[in-house]
Amino acid sequence: MAVFRRGYQRYTGPLVSPWQRLLVIPRFVWPRLLSQRFVVVLLVVSLFWPLACSVFVYFANHLELLQNNGAGPLAKVLAINGAFFSVFMNVQSTFAMILAAVAGPGLIAPDLANNALPLYFARPLSRGTYILARMIVLLGILSLVTLIPGLFVFGMQASMAGWDWFVAHWTYGTGIALGFLLWMITVSLVAMTSSAYVKWRVVAGALVMAFFFVLTGVGQIVNQVLRVQWGSLLSPGYLMLTIWGRLLGVETPWEGGPDATECMLALFVLIGVLLGVLLRKLRPVEVVS
Amino acid sequence: MVTPVIAIDNLHVKLGRREILKGISCRLGASGEGKAIGLLGPNGAGKSTLIQTLLGFHKPSSGSAQILGLDCHKQSAQVKARIGYMPENDSFISDMTAVAFLRLMGEISGMPPAAALEKAHEVLFHVGLGEARYRTVGTYSLGMKQMAKLAQAIIHGPQLVILDEPTNGLDPAARQRMLILIREMKEQHGMNVLLCSHLLRDVEEVCDEVVILKDGLIVHQSDLEAERSSDRRFVQLEVAGDDSKLAEAFQSIGAEAASESPGVWRVVLPREIEIGVLWRLAARENLRVTKLAYRRDTLEELFLKAVGHLRATPVTKQEAPVHGGI
Repeated sequence: MAVFRRGYQRYTGPLVSPWQRLLVIPRFVWPRLLSQRFVVVLLVVSLFWPLACSVFVYFANHLELLQNNGAGPLAKVLAINGAFFSVFMNVQSTFAMILAAVAGPGLIAPDLANNALPLYFARPLSRGTYILARMIVLLGILSLVTLIPGLFVFGMQASMAGWDWFVAHWTYGTGIALGFLLWMITVSLVAMTSSAYVKWRVVAGALVMAFFFVLTGVGQIVNQVLRVQWGSLLSPGYLMLTIWGRLLGVETPWEGGPDATECMLALFVLIGVLLGVLLRKLRPVEVVS
Repeated sequence: MVTPVIAIDNLHVKLGRREILKGISCRLGASGEGKAIGLLGPNGAGKSTLIQTLLGFHKPSSGSAQILGLDCHKQSAQVKARIGYMPENDSFISDMTAVAFLRLMGEISGMPPAAALEKAHEVLFHVGLGEARYRTVGTYSLGMKQMAKLAQAIIHGPQLVILDEPTNGLDPAARQRMLILIREMKEQHGMNVLLCSHLLRDVEEVCDEVVILKDGLIVHQSDLEAERSSDRRFVQLEVAGDDSKLAEAFQSIGAEAASESPGVWRVVLPREIEIGVLWRLAARENLRVTKLAYRRDTLEELFLKAVGHLRATPVTKQEAPVHGGI
């Protein structure tokens, strides 16, 4: 019977599991995000570099093609190693940051502007779950430009170079996965926090970018003024590059300074602070003390 | 024993340093399914804080609040799965169509996607938004938004629906429609309703029980349903002369009475006492009856009395905290 004929009846059917509920918000938000032209353009542009890297990997594993075509000297510089993946991750992480700055501000600000949080939190959805669901939205989008292309390039190299190469270099794969995951979590939290506190999308997006550059600048100032090196711990870029260097077995371009363990600790502190700030803002009702 | 819809035991809630709820206790909706409870009180009485505590938004500083036998704070997720909430203020996702908005809310409540979509259509037709269901909620009028808020509160078929000022901003026709929907919710669908409203007439029309809060305390609680079904006769008597001994006279015939102001009495007559007895009583006391009329306390009078805007009357059996006379 048509719905408009039969009238309202209370729902008494089965309920889905809490894990399935977690994916409800992402399922509703992803199509809306992908309907934004700028997001799609950015996604497409950000795939050029992985494409170029795939071509690089192909030729590195088919040097005879280059030598036959008179490009023999070029073959000598084609090496797939930690430095190659490090450069790949640097470029893609920049795209991820820009994408987070574009897609992130629209995630939480509308719920705050429309006072929708009481509707979410009056349902079996905690603040933590809400943040996790929103983060999954961003992690999903950012994976398209980081994790998935990264593992694709690594997988392509492993399949072309053979089992022996994979056994000797599997840590590149885990390094790519773990390194990108840390970066995605960091930029997602920055984007969501920015979205929670600034309702204008453009300003919130600019704030995401500024967060990384300004903190890097502050870290440099601290280092110069106090003649120390721990000021670099304030720079998310420094933290990430140092951690990636350790994960991929690559030397970092700077000498001295905090090591990867210290950087990891500083990153966890940063993530904790961002989560705390976000949770503070995301309340179903404002309480005026 | 039937589990009460809402059971509150010595509930204290502090927001910052201010204590908003100061140890309230009550059992509401104890008589079964499909009950409507009215929550009244002047501004700042703690109504919203009570609702938000029931929703698990605030942690009690002491005491407990239970909904359907589940602790609102410790078993928050289970409680929230059983309730629907219609907030007072605008709350929606403005750039979503009503169908998508309701489907989202249904799915977050745990409904499977297909069922949520079907119920979204069904409930939108039910509240009268069927023709506008593909419009974005942001383009709705105030009355339509109220209906959309009601729809999202009942899409998952909750056992308790908490309605915060549901008739706010509605024209008379829309208000009547909203009240009919609320009545249908309890009478036809067996939902319990907690209705918070400043419009006492709405509460009187719809509710079976009423709780009046003032300064974080319950100052009155009535079972309106029991009062309506009782066959006691409520009489308003106005007399001229010295009525100082009238209270004793009423007691002598087994009637309960309260003086509202000099010469104005509210009397509850037992079933076996005829109205003519009052005339004889007045004559015996040398009083001239200027007015004698059957009437009950309106909820408005009760409210004003409870919050202290009407002269306090001697406490009678009817106006004791649990069974006030209406």
